[in-house]
Amino acid sequence: MSAAAQIGDLSFVHQGAGLPALDHVSLMVPAGESTALLGPSGAGKTTLLALLDGRLRGWRGRVSVLGAPLDPDHPPSRASRPDIGFVFQEFALVERSSVLRNVLNGRLGRMSPLRAALGSPLPRDLEVARAALADCGIADLAERRVDSLSGGQRQRVAIARCLAQEPRLILADEPVSNLDPARAAEILTLLTGAARARGATVLFSSHQPDLARRFADRIVGMRDGRIAFDVAVGDLSDVATADLYRETTALPAIGLRAVT
Amino acid sequence: MRSRGFGGFAAGALVAGAVLWSFATTDVDLSRLLSAGPRIADFLGRMVPPDPTVMNEIVKGSAETLRIAILGSLGAVLLSVPLGILASETMVSPALYRPVRTLLAFIRAIPLILVAMLMVGAVGLGPLPGIIAIAFHATGMLAKFYAEAIDGVSRAPIAALESAGAAPLAQLRYAIWPQMAPVVARDTIFRFELNLRESLILGIVGAGGIGFYIQTYVRSFQYEKAASVTLAVIAMVIAIEGINVALRRRFA
Repeated sequence: MSAAAQIGDLSFVHQGAGLPALDHVSLMVPAGESTALLGPSGAGKTTLLALLDGRLRGWRGRVSVLGAPLDPDHPPSRASRPDIGFVFQEFALVERSSVLRNVLNGRLGRMSPLRAALGSPLPRDLEVARAALADCGIADLAERRVDSLSGGQRQRVAIARCLAQEPRLILADEPVSNLDPARAAEILTLLTGAARARGATVLFSSHQPDLARRFADRIVGMRDGRIAFDVAVGDLSDVATADLYRETTALPAIGLRAVT
Repeated sequence: MRSRGFGGFAAGALVAGAVLWSFATTDVDLSRLLSAGPRIADFLGRMVPPDPTVMNEIVKGSAETLRIAILGSLGAVLLSVPLGILASETMVSPALYRPVRTLLAFIRAIPLILVAMLMVGAVGLGPLPGIIAIAFHATGMLAKFYAEAIDGVSRAPIAALESAGAAPLAQLRYAIWPQMAPVVARDTIFRFELNLRESLILGIVGAGGIGFYIQTYVRSFQYEKAASVTLAVIAMVIAIEGINVALRRRFA
């Protein structure tokens, strides 16, 4: 089994924070599968995903994504970035631009800088963008402005933008936490389905065990910046899941008492 | 609440003192004050009927005022782009944007008419001192607005484009500019409207435009002509206000 991402002894402390957000994490994300990062808020899921996307500096450990090692001190090369797609929790769309323009923005990394800044999209860029819109079921919204859309529609646009990048690895940070359960299931069906059709790997985070069970092949439990378990979906026990969400232990409780 | 009661008393005494001081030291004798009403009525009476033969001067003066407002606004935009970037919290360090913001506040604090008088002294009569004065004065506000437009840009879409591999120029065009453009357009139009309105009176200090004729006619006792020009200015202010209301509705 080949790895889409390989992480060895990774630690990271956010600037000004005392406790590490990631504490000696080792993990292998298998290529071509769908992996869920499950855990409560503050477990380090968002940090791990941003780090894999090449957005964090100053970590320690060994990380390679799609076979290329990440440098803790320098951002990854621009050329390598379209291969890794990212779906943001808050969508991160340009509100006043059209749906099609937002999806075409996903193509910018595949164009020469000059064409990206000054030129118009090539027929191939438009073709990929239209296909992504169709796959996300929003072809009819192409000309609408994003600020006129609902939350579920916005997340479809964000996923279409990610697919337009033609990524080999899709990282999704709590992609459905802002949506109602029916909408959430639709979006995850769409995301994992589109990725499978393209042979892309998915790593998504969630704090909802039922969604992780339903849409992932593999589930990685995280708590306090550490990996609690890393199992195939069939092997996930209710005990392990419950333990992930148990009451926080001594340290924060003492802190809380000191404050009140 | 004892201290507050004292504070209220002190403030009242201060205001009373200021009013008494103004009365005592300004040479306003009662008979002159009482005759001011009739005199103003008499003055206004001499303005009637407005003399319509100054239509040429009105058109010429208005055109010059419009040119001063346009060129002054252009100057303000050109100055405000770099200064707006330098006054932005998100683009430069506090060591730079704090002094730049103080400078802009200082510029805003100087009345336009004072700047215009100084410029007339510096470069002579005519529209040029008016253009320079408008450009300088308007930059104090416009650069601050531009800085706020830059700082109001949401970072998330920029991060998303960077994550997708978009080069900085592409980020500027597709994530930053679409967010800024409507704000910049609205603020620039708003400032142009103020510039047009304020440049109507610049001629009074010799800095060009229609105000020049008001000053000339009043000083040469041609009140009927002064009345026509004044009415024209009032009509233009109302027209500008109307256009402004219509534009604001579009940007709302």
